[in-house]
Amino acid sequence: MSEQSALQIRNVSKVFELGGGKSVQAVQDISFEVEQNSICVLLGPSGCGKSTVLRMMAGLETPSDGDIVIGGRTVDGPGQDRGMVFQAYTSFDWMSVRKNVEFGMKINGVPAAARAERAERFINLVGLGKFADVYPSQLSGGMRQRVAIARTLANDPEVLLMDEPFGALDAETRWLMQELMVNVAEQTNTTMVIVTHDLEEAIFLADKIVFLSSHPGRLKEEIKPAFKKGERIADKEKVVKLDGYGDLEAHLMRLMREEGRGTS
Amino acid sequence: MERGFGSDVLISISRVLGAFAMACAVAVPLGVMMGAFPSVEAIFAPFVSAWRYLPAPSFIPILLMWFGTGEAPKLALLFIGVIFFLITLIMDHTKNVRQELVETALTLGASRATVVMKVVFPAVLPDIVVAMRQMLAMAWTYLVIAEIVASTTGIGAMMMRARRFLKTDEILSGIIVIGVLGLLFDLLFAMLHRWAFPYLRKN
Ligand SMILES: Nc1ncnc2c1ncn2[C@@H]1O[C@H](COP(=O)(O)OP(=O)(O)OP(=O)(O)O)[C@@H](O)[C@H]1O
Ligand SMILES: [Mg+2]
Repeated sequence: MSEQSALQIRNVSKVFELGGGKSVQAVQDISFEVEQNSICVLLGPSGCGKSTVLRMMAGLETPSDGDIVIGGRTVDGPGQDRGMVFQAYTSFDWMSVRKNVEFGMKINGVPAAARAERAERFINLVGLGKFADVYPSQLSGGMRQRVAIARTLANDPEVLLMDEPFGALDAETRWLMQELMVNVAEQTNTTMVIVTHDLEEAIFLADKIVFLSSHPGRLKEEIKPAFKKGERIADKEKVVKLDGYGDLEAHLMRLMREEGRGTS
Repeated sequence: MERGFGSDVLISISRVLGAFAMACAVAVPLGVMMGAFPSVEAIFAPFVSAWRYLPAPSFIPILLMWFGTGEAPKLALLFIGVIFFLITLIMDHTKNVRQELVETALTLGASRATVVMKVVFPAVLPDIVVAMRQMLAMAWTYLVIAEIVASTTGIGAMMMRARRFLKTDEILSGIIVIGVLGLLFDLLFAMLHRWAFPYLRKN
């Protein structure tokens, strides 16, 4: 293994205390690594702990056991080095798109000129150049999600964490966004961890798929989509037509079905 | 008795605005802090909740005893009549700020203090202005009570004087003036809301 890992998840477990002496084990003894500049997709049936794992990476939850290491440091609370994009709408409504994208840089003390330049670059990257000075409330759902992505990327995180970022979007916008993410990964060399339960999305985006089994969430399988031959292809049509795509999709479906059973 | 109607109106307006401004100056920061930090809420909540159930006018005798007959007891009545509701409203609105916004800011590298100042506060501000608008109406109610019971000046006192001389027309005009003023301030708040929060406009 010549690739360096950006993120290491080491024997991580998470138990939520529900009060009244009850507790839920969301995640049990999970270990895997996310290579530098790669796209890692967390896949698994609903309730298997994908969000929990991602939130622990972000520092928004603390592992009950084990630890998460980024660039040699153990994660201890949220920080600028791990940007997060949520499924829900998170634009700061009182700021223009531009101000939204500048927000992270501003609180981290990036000088105004550098801030403006970087904001411009990332607003253009996500294709919102014409909308830089409007309020988020004037944008569609897909455009707002692009604002959130630009805002996170402009803050220059080492790792971009995304929790079902396109879950609320219609099918067309969804695959446009997926293609956008592949392009962004190529252009910015950002390491990404993306949670989804959409098999197509997982196969299209992933350099590696980490499949979690449910109740409690355990690592079921790590899959590298070998049919892509280590290439990133930002064209969904092409990927779907590649030899091996169907086999992988069938394999993931089988895993989903096995794991989904009994959890409704 | 020679003093004009106009000066009574001005006195009433200045009492409402003065007391209301003081109440807001305390309630806004305290309400936001209580909504943002459970530890702050734990300290102040029992006190604030208890006060809300005490009718403010029941304090008139003691306020008169402590503060004499000047402006202080009237301002104090308005202040205590409004502030505890205002704190509670602002605290509840602050708690309703979506957690995702807070977490987004944290993952962008914001400190807790920055999150409260730059995200939570601007996010609740429109609701704070709405709460103020609602409570200002209540402040007018307490003003009239204070002026009827314990004042020689202001619209309420003017109406009590008129009653002694059976001047029904003056009493009625007092009521109308209070109504018009209430409406006017409500309108001003609505305009402030529109002007300050253009991003909430549906176009
Ligand atoms: N804050 C919390 N308190 C208590 N239990 C929680 C909490 N967060 C998650 N859980 C539990 O942990 C388990 C995993 O939840 P999680 O949200 O990580 O799943 P998920 O894989 O993201 O599901 P989905 O695909 O539906 O989003 C679930 O059983 C859930 O009820
Ligand atoms: Mg989830």
